[in-house]
Amino acid sequence: MSSSDSPVRDEPAAAATEDPDATGADLVIPGQERDSWLRRLTDSTALIFIALLALVTVFAVLAPGAFPSVPNIRNIFIAAASLLVISVGMTFVIISAGIDLSVGSVLVFSSVVAVKAMTAVGNEGWGVSLIGIGVALLAGLLWGLINGFLIAKAGIPPLIVTLGTLGAALGFAQIITGGINLRGVPPQLTQVLGYGRIFGIPWLVVVAAFVTAWGIIALRFTRFGRYTYAVGSNPEAARRAGINVDRHLLKIYAIVGLLSGLAGVMSLARFSNTNIAGHTTDNLQSIAAVVIGGTSLFGGIGTVFGTVVGVFIPTVLQNGFVILRVQPFWQEVAVGVVLIAAVYVDQLKRRARERL
Amino acid sequence: MSAPLLQARNIVKNYGHVQALRGADFDVGEGQVVGLVGDNGAGKSTLVKILSGIERPDGGEIVFDDRTVTLADAADAHRLGIETVYQDLALAPDLDPAANLFLGRERLKPGLLGRLGFLDRDGMADDAAEAFRNLGQTVQLITVPVASLSGGQRQSVAVARASAWASRIVFLDEPTAALGVVQAQKVLDLIRRVRDNGIGVVLISHNMPQVFDVADRIEVLRLGRRVARFTPSEIDMDDIVAAMTGVLDHEAEATS
Amino acid sequence: MSQLTLKRTSGMRPVVMAALLALLLTACGGGGGDAAESEAASGGASEAAGGSEAAGGGGDYDIVLIPGVIGDEFYVSMECGARAAADEAGASLDVQGADTFDPTAQTPVLEAVIASQPDAILIAPTDRTAMQAPIQQAVDAGITVALVDTTLEDPSVAVAAVASDNVEGGRMAGDALAELMNEEGAALVINVNPGISTTDQRQEGFEEAIAQYENIEYLGTEFSNNEPAQAAQIVDATLSANPGLNGIFGTNLFSAEGAATGVRNAGPEGEDISIVGFDAGPAQVDQLESGQVQALIAQKPEEIGTQGVEQAIAALNGEEPEAEITTGFEVITQDNLEEPEMQEALYKSQC
Repeated sequence: MSSSDSPVRDEPAAAATEDPDATGADLVIPGQERDSWLRRLTDSTALIFIALLALVTVFAVLAPGAFPSVPNIRNIFIAAASLLVISVGMTFVIISAGIDLSVGSVLVFSSVVAVKAMTAVGNEGWGVSLIGIGVALLAGLLWGLINGFLIAKAGIPPLIVTLGTLGAALGFAQIITGGINLRGVPPQLTQVLGYGRIFGIPWLVVVAAFVTAWGIIALRFTRFGRYTYAVGSNPEAARRAGINVDRHLLKIYAIVGLLSGLAGVMSLARFSNTNIAGHTTDNLQSIAAVVIGGTSLFGGIGTVFGTVVGVFIPTVLQNGFVILRVQPFWQEVAVGVVLIAAVYVDQLKRRARERL
Repeated sequence: MSAPLLQARNIVKNYGHVQALRGADFDVGEGQVVGLVGDNGAGKSTLVKILSGIERPDGGEIVFDDRTVTLADAADAHRLGIETVYQDLALAPDLDPAANLFLGRERLKPGLLGRLGFLDRDGMADDAAEAFRNLGQTVQLITVPVASLSGGQRQSVAVARASAWASRIVFLDEPTAALGVVQAQKVLDLIRRVRDNGIGVVLISHNMPQVFDVADRIEVLRLGRRVARFTPSEIDMDDIVAAMTGVLDHEAEATS
Repeated sequence: MSQLTLKRTSGMRPVVMAALLALLLTACGGGGGDAAESEAASGGASEAAGGSEAAGGGGDYDIVLIPGVIGDEFYVSMECGARAAADEAGASLDVQGADTFDPTAQTPVLEAVIASQPDAILIAPTDRTAMQAPIQQAVDAGITVALVDTTLEDPSVAVAAVASDNVEGGRMAGDALAELMNEEGAALVINVNPGISTTDQRQEGFEEAIAQYENIEYLGTEFSNNEPAQAAQIVDATLSANPGLNGIFGTNLFSAEGAATGVRNAGPEGEDISIVGFDAGPAQVDQLESGQVQALIAQKPEEIGTQGVEQAIAALNGEEPEAEITTGFEVITQDNLEEPEMQEALYKSQC
């Protein structure tokens, strides 16, 4: 029998008269049918989603003309778009029990080389814009491959590797630009991607939505997603099962690098400059978003949908607090509280699970 | 005794200065249970890892179906129909039993979706349920992570996985270590069923009564070499102990 | 077994509820909770999108100040001046801003402020091009906008632009530094980032002035990204390449602060370097007192804030605002620091 076949053999089933209590090998847990809706409701991702809904409701009630207005909702989505793109990639990384601190720097580096490339060919028109986009994506991909190679093949811990590339990518960006922001991108890029809409939805949001949809589908329904969970859950088990763990890690870090490059394009389209100093906390923000969404820092558990919620909670919090004229300091405190609460809830679930 | 299906000849394995195996031999044939016993540090787990493709030997050869083979990785062993339950179970705790059963061998949907990597989750779940059932475990498959199961249930999943996929040989390294009496008996029953299917079973265990209960043959490893081969019905515990402690050595270095 | 599971789950709900409660309390209570502010929130809601009143007087206007960055004494002083003018006119003033000086952070704050429909926004744009479109959004929503400190590529969208005459300030810095350098040696400028109108103009004015001195070599301008640490590194590097460096102009608070740190790190080599800084925050006054910095060009941020509010209210009242107002400077040295006029000019850390 080849290993690609099903393990099922034609055999009479064992006698069904065994007493479930005595056997002990019974894998039934009473009351837990497959995909029980009640169990899903108490899942930590569901809880944080309910928290987000509560937050939105509270703000809508406290500022009825302001918060739920179409322009404001649109602005919330636009503000979240770039961080969401990075965080989708970060979700895969953290589920694989890794981490990537270099995302903000890779974003900056990608936007710097993109502007350089576009300026060199005239800085005008769609062809040039596409070149810029391509260059940014390629730059992000390359940094991702560097990360992945050092982590998978050289066996250096992800925290250390990406701490190094965080510095290196930003450093190279500063060398290339002389430390000053590069300004000016083709108007097509800003007018369409940056400020344009399709069916009333900003293009930036459409891009983020596509990336999110890919992330949700890939993680839940494909072999690539399952391998991500397996590698994060028990890399040695994955290896012994025949999974090429090294190659998988390489792919994951390449993806998050690529997405950081994409976020660089989105930032250029919106702000028309490379904003070198403005992305130093992107890494922590996206890690926080992923963790708030229910993904475990220890790996093996998490969803992209949770990350979406995790991105929107701080964005909605800031937006609502500013509308309500709350002092800026409290906004940071609130995000900190949410983060700690989310991690604590995850911890409790883990401990409860392991005591069964 | 049937002709050996798998033979290890003169296997040498070093970890730095430590010689884990110094020319170890091993035989297992179709449709038989072989108990592999030895004191701690005898090299049993190392030998199993080598025969499972997880480690590569520094010397010696492996013969399978009368052909010399090289096992470069776990996949090579799987291709030959060799499966293993490791001491640490090698399960992914956050995945459910069905996902663990198909780990590394996931079924993809047919057609274009399959080429894009889409999993046939329902198909795998159904097949896993049937596999557990066929192997005598009254399991209704649930989508809880394996970490939520008890130690005994986890071990059952690992044993079921190996026996479900194995077509020629199954290695079981301490499969009853975490199990209570009743559960352990179920594993032994499973071992007999697998053997009756014509598959060779290698059982590593410290639990001598269980080994005596289920094994057709017993091979003793000591300090990285095979020192004795026994038929359980012809000997008793003392002989085993004697071999394990070095008093008895039937296979002294001089012989080939 | 299942009962155990349910028990554990319900034990977590109180934790989450508590956390949510904490959040809600923060949201409700953090705004000060007084009548004026809750009125601002609901008043903004009940008003039509136009937002401005044609009636005379200046009462009850809802004004929001968006500084370039939160926590910078220059902007805090501006807030004090703005608040004084608002109090006098009976208007309310809120401050909302980001904690980094960049358009990526300032834009979401501005957009949320727009949604809260104030009558007027006073804003210090963090980039002259990137902030053009977002500020246009405010104007399109019927909000009166006044620019304070920094300006835009096209400032005509605002009713008023109040700023120091930064070119003049740069000139004053150039002359002050030349005097400290005894009109000979090599001078360096540490700037922030190109694209910030104010600091670019200071550099311009400085270069104009320093060109007049034949015996002073102008080493050029380096950019510190508004990071004191980077400014310090620039000083180190320049000193290594040009040991004759004896004068540095830091174009803003952090640049001057960083320059002083760099000179201090240089030890004996840095002893003869004079530094002229822009802005007079507490840290810089300390540096002035201890002799690390020799002169400070202090702007008048309080006056900028006051003027900004006054012009915005004038526009809201239907009067004609003054479209462009420039404010002046004080040159503060160790010698005149104690004079009451100079003490007035120092920046505040709180109102």
